[in-house]
Amino acid sequence: MLLAGGQGSRLYDLTKDVAKPAVSFGAKYRIIDFPLSNCANSGINSVGVLTQYRPYLLHSYLGTGTAWNLEDGIAILPPYATQTGGSWYAGTADAVAQNLEYIELNDPEYVIILSGDALCRMDYHDMLETHKKNNADLTIAVMPVPWEDASRFGLLVADETGRITEFQEKPPEPKSNLASMGIYIFNTKLLCDELRLDAADPESEHDFGGNIIPKLLNDGRRLYTYKFEGFWRDVGTIASYHETSMELLGENPSFDLFQKDFPIMSNTHSFPPAYFGPDATVDDCIVGNGSKIYGDAVHSIVSIDSVIGKGAVVKDSVLLPGAIVKDGAKVINAIVGENSVIEEGVVFGSEDAGKDYTFCGNNVVIGKEE
Amino acid sequence: MPKAIGLITANYSTKFPSPLTDSRPAASLPFLGRYRLVDFALSNMVNCGIRTVGMVMPYNYRSLIDHVGSGREWELTRKTGGLFILPGSAFGTSRTGSRFLLRDLIHNKVFLERDSADLVVLSTANWVYSMDYNKLFEAHLASGADITVLTQAAKDKDVDVAGFEVVDGRVKGIKHGVVFGDTAFLDCFVMGREKLLEILDWFAATDYLDLFEALAGEYERVNVQTFDYEGYAAPVFNKDTYFKANMDMLDTKITHELFSERPVRTKNHDNQPGKYQPGCKVANSRVSGSSVIYGTVTNSVLGRGVTVEKGAVVNNAIIMQGCTIKSGAVIENAIIDRNNLVPEGTELRGAPNAILVKEKGQA
Repeated sequence: MLLAGGQGSRLYDLTKDVAKPAVSFGAKYRIIDFPLSNCANSGINSVGVLTQYRPYLLHSYLGTGTAWNLEDGIAILPPYATQTGGSWYAGTADAVAQNLEYIELNDPEYVIILSGDALCRMDYHDMLETHKKNNADLTIAVMPVPWEDASRFGLLVADETGRITEFQEKPPEPKSNLASMGIYIFNTKLLCDELRLDAADPESEHDFGGNIIPKLLNDGRRLYTYKFEGFWRDVGTIASYHETSMELLGENPSFDLFQKDFPIMSNTHSFPPAYFGPDATVDDCIVGNGSKIYGDAVHSIVSIDSVIGKGAVVKDSVLLPGAIVKDGAKVINAIVGENSVIEEGVVFGSEDAGKDYTFCGNNVVIGKEE
Repeated sequence: MPKAIGLITANYSTKFPSPLTDSRPAASLPFLGRYRLVDFALSNMVNCGIRTVGMVMPYNYRSLIDHVGSGREWELTRKTGGLFILPGSAFGTSRTGSRFLLRDLIHNKVFLERDSADLVVLSTANWVYSMDYNKLFEAHLASGADITVLTQAAKDKDVDVAGFEVVDGRVKGIKHGVVFGDTAFLDCFVMGREKLLEILDWFAATDYLDLFEALAGEYERVNVQTFDYEGYAAPVFNKDTYFKANMDMLDTKITHELFSERPVRTKNHDNQPGKYQPGCKVANSRVSGSSVIYGTVTNSVLGRGVTVEKGAVVNNAIIMQGCTIKSGAVIENAIIDRNNLVPEGTELRGAPNAILVKEKGQA
């Protein structure tokens, strides 16, 4: 069950008209490509995608799931009306609870709950093996974080076997540095039973982290951690989005899109190969098909179908699909939204803004007045 | 749009004096890095609304089947209609110049008989252009011709392009080879489906001929008219026109015309975007996805997954999918076929008027 209904409000205009999982990333991907590819690469063939916020682009992008080798394996699960009215998804647990019908029709032994708005490469099958080996009721993927940052996360305290003894939500004095990644494997029957109980509880906020996990711990259930030490980024803010994009660059990037054994799949349009004009320069960039570079691209992500005009400079920046930087414009330390236009001669962003990246949303025109 | 079906004849040979077509039919020659020639014929048909396409296969069909698959990329995986793979005759490719071999059409009459469409458009896969066939259909229906052939005034001498003798707007004969200004045949024509079936019956005894050769004595009886296509169209019948057509794609006016209004669909490999490492130089070139460039690439077309190492230089060249150009190697005026590993320090140089071809490699 892939939770993809989030707005991602700290991405501001980047999620003004699309849900966070549908935000473009890495020149040709969308964030949801990463969990979906993980599913396909982990041998999961049925994925329910729970959508709510601005779902149109997300729905059309998902199609029937063919793009991720999930032929007819994707079920799009938005909130729906019932005889008694129906309601929006009120929390992560509520979203899944409203779709128990989907889970029970598929009748799996295990259900994995995934977040649709994090970037990572992870073999869920390996996590499931750990879950089975521990004979666990619930396994939570965790990632070690620096101790000084630990109090910003939901932390899990575990014994030497990995069994969870305590859950701390953003504690001032952390007892552990293992942060929950929001990825859970449940035994199906337990999940369904607990979600029904939780749905009936008027006090509950219907959140996995806030309600379901603490209750299961209280009940003395077998909760285990699965320690993940690979690449994981939340890209929840403009700064983290920009910085994670830059991590794709360089000869030995910390996040390598070219890793062969675990391909990230996507549902892209077909464009001709990237074009480089006679006076183009390109240095330390990732460039998608269909883009045309007449000017300079330096240390940047140039997404599919975008254009850098003559004499224009794009440096330390991310152009999302279809972005156009017109002749003589400069884009520095910035993010330009999908199909947005930076008019001729405009300077968008600056060299010395530090982590205060300039950005604009999708389908906007930035003229000289701005 | 009148109801039409399409038929692509891919069972003919070309006189490529190079190893490029030793291992593959002309229809599956890679073009502009990520396409194959057949993509243009297929996309033109699909883009005008056709959803039933037959494809007469050459004997060495492996790469062509691998590419078109079930036709999904062209929306041809369907309950009604879709892509029909049709057998070509074994000796079809032995006759150069014949692109609409009667035997291949007669053997596959069932494809024509089972559909109820009014029109059938036939095409080879040797021309690069993007056109709305509805214009051809409209002209065909308006003129009342039996056959309307797609033509264009020849821009160059080309011994491999067929041309028509046209008198007062009607075709009176076909010839092989054109010079500047001739009425060049774009190897595409439209006609009534039933009329085609009727004509095929006339020629059962001479099925070793090309349709237009067989019609030689019949141009009074069969009304064949031309439709002049004004846009960009490039023939690809030999090494030189293959190289030239690829290099034409460095002109963004041409690529705009080919790719922006109607998509040219191709098998989607969904590979990574291209990676341009610190210190690389790329100018006046087209580079496909998942290529990694450390060195210098100028005036060239690169396929998918090509690596150009540090200090390597590629100029005025076509590098096909999966090649690695090792450090210090120099490639100029050349076509490097798929999966070649060009070793360190090697120089592969042709001349602008004598393009060097390196056959498929094993890398």
